[in-house]
Amino acid sequence: MANNDPVKVGVLYSQTGATSAIESSQRLGTLLAIEEINTAGGIDGREIVAIDCDPASDPVQFRALAERLVAIDNVNVIFGCYMSSTRKAVMPVVEKYNRILFYATLYEGFEFSNNIIYTGAAPNQNSVQLADYMMSSFGGRVYLVGSDYIYPYESNRIMSDLIKQRPGGSVVAQRYVPLDVGQQDFKVIVDEIRDLQPDFIFSTVVGNATQHLYRAYAEAGLNPKHIPIASLTTSEVEVSQMGAQMAAGHFTSAPYFSSIDTPENLRVIERFEARFGGDVRPNACWEAAYFQVHMFANAMRATGTDLVPVLLPQLLSAEYAAPQGRVRIEPTNHHTHLYPRIGRVNSKGEFTIVRASNHAVAPDPYLVTHSLGDWTLALEALQD
Amino acid sequence: MAKSRTMVRSGMRIAREAPQILRDLRSLRVCVFHPRDQDGQDLTRQLERIGCQVQAFWPPLPEPPAGMDVVFMAISPDLVDADFEWCHVDDSPPVIAVIAYENPTVIEAVLRVGAIATVASPVRSFGLLPVLVLARDLHVTLKKQKKRIAQLEAKLHGVRQITEAQDILCAQHGVNKDEAYRIIREQAMQKRVTAEEIARSIIHANEILRFSAPKS
Repeated sequence: MANNDPVKVGVLYSQTGATSAIESSQRLGTLLAIEEINTAGGIDGREIVAIDCDPASDPVQFRALAERLVAIDNVNVIFGCYMSSTRKAVMPVVEKYNRILFYATLYEGFEFSNNIIYTGAAPNQNSVQLADYMMSSFGGRVYLVGSDYIYPYESNRIMSDLIKQRPGGSVVAQRYVPLDVGQQDFKVIVDEIRDLQPDFIFSTVVGNATQHLYRAYAEAGLNPKHIPIASLTTSEVEVSQMGAQMAAGHFTSAPYFSSIDTPENLRVIERFEARFGGDVRPNACWEAAYFQVHMFANAMRATGTDLVPVLLPQLLSAEYAAPQGRVRIEPTNHHTHLYPRIGRVNSKGEFTIVRASNHAVAPDPYLVTHSLGDWTLALEALQD
Repeated sequence: MAKSRTMVRSGMRIAREAPQILRDLRSLRVCVFHPRDQDGQDLTRQLERIGCQVQAFWPPLPEPPAGMDVVFMAISPDLVDADFEWCHVDDSPPVIAVIAYENPTVIEAVLRVGAIATVASPVRSFGLLPVLVLARDLHVTLKKQKKRIAQLEAKLHGVRQITEAQDILCAQHGVNKDEAYRIIREQAMQKRVTAEEIARSIIHANEILRFSAPKS
């Protein structure tokens, strides 16, 4: 007898608060994948139903809503979280009830939970490549600016380590700003940048504050040709928030850019725009949020259940033809093999991909010492 | 009134270099004495994720293979009375006990094997890394302190011997203490040995002379 019960899944992305814009894009990537699966007949005839919550960029609400999703809605799988603080809030819940959290965001590494699947980049899949490219193109005197929380601290530790590996490399200054910072507050920072004249700026400013940094930079008359900003988190969403002319010439390292010119990617973007309009820009966090739902559905199709003890072994080693390329979940650490890329924002606000890896790089979330010039991480030059 | 507070935090945080003990994790040789059950597997796999070189054995070997930097040892109920001689040898690697009970019988066994940290069963992946790093750091500190204490004891012993030799010289040559010390130092420099060694020779000779004195 066929089971036609719908499959409930939790969707936990903020639609309000400090990181609402990027999380809203992750939410729509998730919903697109769910609709695609349902349109194609669901999971063996079972419809996926999203229990959609707004945790408002607040770890306390993330935890409470995760508890509710598990205890009251009885979902086995949750898609969500962006900031590390929110993932840490949800982790004890999925561990206590033995559920799975799919986490579609780059983060600082040093974590493994048996109940989390990590589909965003670990530092060995974005930071090393960015340091390598920026220092060989612009030089080793680097200004660090970030939001005041754990992800920027650890990212800056890794970046400082890489900078010191380069002869003459140095961190000229290191500044932190609150998550809810305004544009006015960046004035002292851009003034200092103008005084210090670093070779480039490494920004770990996240969320809606990102646009203020780039705007303050542009208003100070700084030129990305001479002192570009390099980031891991400034995606198409943040670029569209600040406007193309503010972002043009700056760099981001990510496994996915919406400009990837493959038929698979173009088809997904076409479907996304047809369904959700052109307001929300596809980006790396959106893409991971999208493909991880398909990986879940495939695993559930293969096992016939979303019960974690059965589903999890099927997910480990699973592969999927994602928009970025063929990805695979690494069974030993639950992170994902991804394709590092470096993009430079062009005048249309899209990323021109200047470097790309022609193979998926294995995730290594517990690596303390990253090395410049690691040949296994070498990227192919596409444009200069 | 407009808020005039500056929101930029500056000069407060600098990215510090990862200490050597963290950089060494990938070359760390870890011995695991744990039954091959789910817990043993979780422990070994998390150590491998961290990047350590792991060798697992059960039952425990009479002693860990040579060159191990740290040993995880399950204190299972059938092991609480075992006596591991290697744990008490000076150069033995630090022991982290893996325990499923915290009753006095088990804790006594933890103390007896000389463990400097414990990991609770069931083993969680979170928390293992800091325990590993702290245990190694503590072990290095203890080793340094042990060495320092031995050096200080030797030094103290040497000072006592010099005082004794000074007394002998004062008694037998009618010199004062400063003069006696000058003689010892001069001898040491001439013979290119330490003052402590000269002092020992004087004490030694004095004992022999004292022994032979009644004969003459």
